[in-house]
Amino acid sequence: MVKFGIEFVPREPFWKIIYYTIQAERGGFSNLWVTDHFNNRNVYVTLSTAAIYTNKITFGSGVTNPYMVNPVFTAQAIATLNELAPGRVVLGIGAGDKTTLESVGMEMQRPLVAVQEAVEIFRKITSGENVVYKGEVFKTAGAKFLFKPKGKIPVYVGAQGPKMLELAGKIGDGVLINACHPKDVEYAVNCVKEGVSAAGKKFNEVDVAAYTSFSVHEDIKKANKAAVPVVSFIVAGSPPQLLERHGIEVKKAEEIKEALKANDWGRAFGGVTPEMISAFSVCGTPDMCIERIAELLKSGISQFVVGSPIGANVREAINLISEKIIPHFQKA
Amino acid sequence: MTSFKAARCPNIVSPKSGEITVDYRKLVEFIPVAKREMLSDKLVDFILTSKNDEKMPGQLANTILHYWQQDVLESESGLATLLEAALLLEPERTLGVFAELEMANIAEQIKASLPS
Repeated sequence: MVKFGIEFVPREPFWKIIYYTIQAERGGFSNLWVTDHFNNRNVYVTLSTAAIYTNKITFGSGVTNPYMVNPVFTAQAIATLNELAPGRVVLGIGAGDKTTLESVGMEMQRPLVAVQEAVEIFRKITSGENVVYKGEVFKTAGAKFLFKPKGKIPVYVGAQGPKMLELAGKIGDGVLINACHPKDVEYAVNCVKEGVSAAGKKFNEVDVAAYTSFSVHEDIKKANKAAVPVVSFIVAGSPPQLLERHGIEVKKAEEIKEALKANDWGRAFGGVTPEMISAFSVCGTPDMCIERIAELLKSGISQFVVGSPIGANVREAINLISEKIIPHFQKA
Repeated sequence: MTSFKAARCPNIVSPKSGEITVDYRKLVEFIPVAKREMLSDKLVDFILTSKNDEKMPGQLANTILHYWQQDVLESESGLATLLEAALLLEPERTLGVFAELEMANIAEQIKASLPS
């Protein structure tokens, strides 16, 4: 049976996120993902608070990166969280967001190697090893925790491009696929499968999640209106091949990008078309969302993550998902 | 139970600062039980959709989360914390909801008790 995850961005204060998390746990969500960007509130403080106020939801970074924080510190934070909520913690890690990294003067150097090495170091140090590691990006000369980490912590790799997806399948206990459209998710799952089989694993041993931009409301206009700002940023950041795959003119995406750069929200959001919303979000009434999720499930994903904006009113949207969408798939 | 209309709004005078504060717990006692669930729902909505996040004291936020975790936001204690938070973050909307739920007299009393 498919699991439902939910993503929160800690731009919101902790108490709003924790309120929604308690609501989501009660409503049948099994996973909580909290984004990690330096310009929002801290992911691990947010997750610690979530750990205290919940008792069964699994949670993790969605996703951190190996550049901003050295992997040994990421491992330290996650291992400590795992003491607070044993067996409910996972690490979500990806290459990061180029724009955010550049804004603090960091270069996204050799992302595939960096993610692979970071995951190796994470696994070694959280299993209690004294880590002597000579990688191409990371080196440790005897790094060991002075406390005993508890248990094996699953690693989810966030990915979008084919090579990172393949690597994610190869090294991840889980994969977070950053895509919303059935065509994109199917393509991504096939890349993941290549990595899974290269590692000699079975596909069903890996928790593969579609990490989507999601917006639900009983009124489709309200669902669309909430999705538009998020979709405008996704369109502006998408490569031409991806846009063309969905029949979106590159020129229109460029116009949105320019408008966003100029903080001309009216022009940027006004440029978002229904095709763009369909390509880059799961959006609509509960029935429409059910239909789209059912299509995505055909690709073989085992987790569906509802990400920003979730809905025009987050509390109402979580209720809709809990009352209408999750039960539909539980019955199935 | 004493009707709220007949009673004075339950204020507390701090012995240290002399500051007058509303006793939210006592105030909630005047809210008919049948209207508490609806009121609680509306107050939660005001708090979560408020743009005045910075006005929420951390301790009060934790108390609300504690009651929410126990699923007792509609209890007298839960409602009292919601009311305190809603009046801090969204005073106009909060007072408006009392009128909407036919408790305008309570709104008037709260208004008179709040610091100007």
